[in-house]
Amino acid sequence: MPTFLERSAALPHLGLGISTEYGARRSPGALDPRALRREHPGLGGFLEVGVEIERGLDADARAWVADGGPTTYHFLDVNLDEPEDLDPGWLAAVRGTVDELRPAWLCGDAGLWHFGTRDRGQMLLLPPVLVPESVAPMAAGLVALRQATGHEVLPENPPGAFFVGPMHVLELFAAVAEAADTGLLLDCAHLAMFQRSRGLAFDAGFDALPWERVIELHVAGGSERAIEGLPVVDDDHGIEVLPDTWAIFEGALARAGNLRAVVVECERNPLPDVLPLFRRVASAWGVDAR
Amino acid sequence: MSADRSAERSEARSEDRNAERSEARLEPRRVQHALVCMLFDPAYAAMVRGSAKLPELSVRERALLREVDPRALRSDPHRLARAVHALIDEYPVSAAVLGVAKVETFFASEAFRAGIRERKAMALTFGQWLGDRARGVGCLEHAMALLRRPLPAPKGELDCPPRFRGLLVPAGTLAFTSSVRARLGHDPVELLAQRREPWGERAPRKGTEPLLVERREDGSIDLGTASEPLVRLMRFAEGGRRRAEVEAEAIRRGAEPAEAGELIDELIADGLLCAPPTGSS
Ligand SMILES: [Fe+2]
Repeated sequence: MPTFLERSAALPHLGLGISTEYGARRSPGALDPRALRREHPGLGGFLEVGVEIERGLDADARAWVADGGPTTYHFLDVNLDEPEDLDPGWLAAVRGTVDELRPAWLCGDAGLWHFGTRDRGQMLLLPPVLVPESVAPMAAGLVALRQATGHEVLPENPPGAFFVGPMHVLELFAAVAEAADTGLLLDCAHLAMFQRSRGLAFDAGFDALPWERVIELHVAGGSERAIEGLPVVDDDHGIEVLPDTWAIFEGALARAGNLRAVVVECERNPLPDVLPLFRRVASAWGVDAR
Repeated sequence: MSADRSAERSEARSEDRNAERSEARLEPRRVQHALVCMLFDPAYAAMVRGSAKLPELSVRERALLREVDPRALRSDPHRLARAVHALIDEYPVSAAVLGVAKVETFFASEAFRAGIRERKAMALTFGQWLGDRARGVGCLEHAMALLRRPLPAPKGELDCPPRFRGLLVPAGTLAFTSSVRARLGHDPVELLAQRREPWGERAPRKGTEPLLVERREDGSIDLGTASEPLVRLMRFAEGGRRRAEVEAEAIRRGAEPAEAGELIDELIADGLLCAPPTGSS
């Protein structure tokens, strides 16, 4: 089998895109992905569809696909390190959704999406335990999902108010990417949360990352608050992007030579409010912002 | 030194080595499971930080969790409410009988923690934890929760069809459940979360009411009373039995010995017992 770097040559250049998840547009004033694509084709290059198999695809995602718009499939419901979680029923439904979306690749936070079985009221998202023992089970899940879908699966560094284990999150994801021979999705806002929680500089751990494997970046707004004096960042996908997220994004752009896609995660905000954010991302990446 | 003594010593040494090995074990999944419990239960988080023995965690696993700032565990103030919401959706009348304050204690129970470690559906673990706490109402809503989820394949020569659950609950349970459910209205979560206290009327606790709960083809759930001998027989067959055992049980429950075979055939024809293809175990 060719290596990921060889396989990556076949991955399309998707440009700048937006994310959505089931029912995102029900929030008042939320972004209409198709309107963005119609009015600013350079900004709505593709739609990253957040999929929870139990809910399926909503009308907006289906309409985007019917228009022939490119997509990526962002899973929201699998604990990659639990072999039991990739059960035949779920995998069959994933394959069905992949057939509908025809995504360029699959991606998603490599963390704990639910406790117990995949069942009501059991959703959450915790980052992986940052120890070498986490690498092999996570890599095995990535390989299994790639084989089951026939698509590349890019693990994303998850958000967190705290992180358990001594490793740097980039060190862990580097090891996972090597072990699974896969690409990576670097979420700049999530990385900023990690660096802050550890009191590290925005670019700490950059040297650990095999940047040629980074295929996709996420940029999103976050808001700062304190829990009884403990500063934390809420990954609220708002329009205020933290300065360290920008610094990470710009540092990543300079290093990720194989980059194919950047998602601006702002699905619940009105178009006029998010345009400045899109324009800044586009200009940093040097793409046409019309 | 006697040979016995030296064998004892070497056994003790190997036990120490095993204990050391197990204390050095680090399974990320066990750390995550304990972390989830800490997120739901501050008392458990304090136990992890404390010194009392916790068999579910090795020394290394526990050391990682001790480093978590307890304030960070409170980053999502709605976590418990969302989980309680999911339980009330499936157990509205049990939650009314207990009161939401009591429902919340489930998240501090060993049953909840075991359910996470064993990778179970929370609603089913809750049903088991309920036991007799909400009387027959809890049994009834637990049976409904079981029937909403994937059903097991029938086993043995004869089984209770998996789409049925036979229940023996205190007399009046069905009427009480329906009446409280109706009064909870369209948003039991909202109503019960505000109330928090147990419902004014107590769930029935005397006598016996035999009930059959059925999942229909369309997925909806049907509740009804049935004859006590039938419910007892279906419960007896649950999980798989030999036909001879079920016939003997039917006779114990009052069937004429000469007619027991015929009775079982009729129950199979009516879909109240099922005979899985041979070889199912
Ligand atoms: Fe992201």
